[in-house]
Amino acid sequence: MPEQKQSKVFSLPKKGQRNRCKTGIDTLDAILNGGIPRGNTVLVTGSCGTGKTTTSLEFLVHGALYGENCLFISVTEASEKLLANLIPYEFFDESLLKRGKLIFIDMPAIYERLGLQKSEFSFEEIDLLVNAIGDIVKELKIKRLVIDSVTSVCFQLKTEEKIRDFILKLGKKLSDLGCTSLLVSEILPSDARYSTYGVEEAIADGIILMGNYERRGDLLRTLQVVKMRGTTHSRAKYVLDLTPIGVLLVPMLKGGGD
Amino acid sequence: MGVVEKVFESLKEIPESSVIALEANSDAYFDVIRAITEKISIYKNLDVIYINSTLPANSIISVMDLLDIKRDNIYFVDCGSSVLLTQQTKNGHVLFVESPTMLENIMLKVEFLLRKLDRKKGKLVFLDSINSLAIHNSLSILSEFMHILFNNMRSKGAYTVVLSIKEQSSDDISRALTMVCDEKIDVKEEW
Ligand SMILES: Nc1ncnc2c1ncn2[C@@H]1O[C@H](COP(=O)(O)OP(=O)(O)OP(=O)(O)O)[C@@H](O)[C@H]1O
Ligand SMILES: [Mg+2]
Repeated sequence: MPEQKQSKVFSLPKKGQRNRCKTGIDTLDAILNGGIPRGNTVLVTGSCGTGKTTTSLEFLVHGALYGENCLFISVTEASEKLLANLIPYEFFDESLLKRGKLIFIDMPAIYERLGLQKSEFSFEEIDLLVNAIGDIVKELKIKRLVIDSVTSVCFQLKTEEKIRDFILKLGKKLSDLGCTSLLVSEILPSDARYSTYGVEEAIADGIILMGNYERRGDLLRTLQVVKMRGTTHSRAKYVLDLTPIGVLLVPMLKGGGD
Repeated sequence: MGVVEKVFESLKEIPESSVIALEANSDAYFDVIRAITEKISIYKNLDVIYINSTLPANSIISVMDLLDIKRDNIYFVDCGSSVLLTQQTKNGHVLFVESPTMLENIMLKVEFLLRKLDRKKGKLVFLDSINSLAIHNSLSILSEFMHILFNNMRSKGAYTVVLSIKEQSSDDISRALTMVCDEKIDVKEEW
């Protein structure tokens, strides 16, 4: 038996490029050389109103259109409100909801089912939560997951050790299940870090940073892939537009540094 | 032959993916617009993406209506209107860019139109004009903008025409155009 165990531990990934999870946002896939490496846990981080929720939703809708089961776990906003935001999209197809390709679950409902009501979770409760999310992903055969936002979950974890524990275990579980995940993270514009607690960013496989950039009085929405394990990628800043046909991106001009 | 025909003649044989600079006097302004929006677009059966920063789109539309130019295939990326002052009428043919300094947003609107419009139909991007954009932007950022935008158009097989008004131009602007265009056409009154 130990032999079998060993061979599993040391089994190498298949040769060549890791299988990609196409975001369906063309320019972002080009930036990522084909998409997010499957199974990665990616932090989508930025200050408020930078387009994190919209971009994450689009990632799921495209996945559902490709035939993958997609799950949005909403922590702060009600699912109905998010759904209303999807309707104007020209590529959105309501049958994705009926066919169970695109699923919305409110995190408070999960807390309630698990009996998590305290303002601070214990390590055991973190395990409970991670397992519950894992079970849902497994049961519904979810290939793409968004948690919006993971920062709100972290509020209930309080300490760095617990946040590290939560993200590590969750990332491991999701990756084992072959699920590519976006964890939305909220930061203040002034933050030097990519995540509120500073630990999420070190553990995540990838970081997509969204921001507002002011240039001579004009405010631009920007997106930058800061890190992505398992692929080469551009680290340049892009300017973003949220449109009825989805997120559009163009390179940010440098203008000789003015 | 008038200016309209001359411009048309000099443009009608250009191959796909060409980037052409038209250097013209301000007197020839409306003739150039006519040659592009009417003559060339009909001859080659193109959708025209008209980036205007010299005049507001509404003014250009009024002139086109006066000249009886059909506008069904003309789409404006308007950075010549003060957004606060115009009541933006819901019009699929005019997309507003808040300010001529938001060059990335011009690229984004062009990208939007390229995706939105019939992909099988050819496209011509008309930039009117480099001089009015140069009032609001440094030449280095403007060159970078043109380089990225024009290469994107090239890769999609679209035609690109940049207008430069001689009276408002400079050696620097002319050199910048040489860098990013395949050909310069001097629009003379007495061709
Ligand atoms: N299709 C769209 N077209 C134009 N604007 C949009 C579109 N979708 C969203 N927006 C605008 O973009 C803004 C930001 O979107 P979004 O909610 O995705 O950002 P966020 O980073 O998740 O913000 P928050 O931190 O508040 O959760 C919204 O205020 C909305 O007005
Ligand atoms: Mg949000």
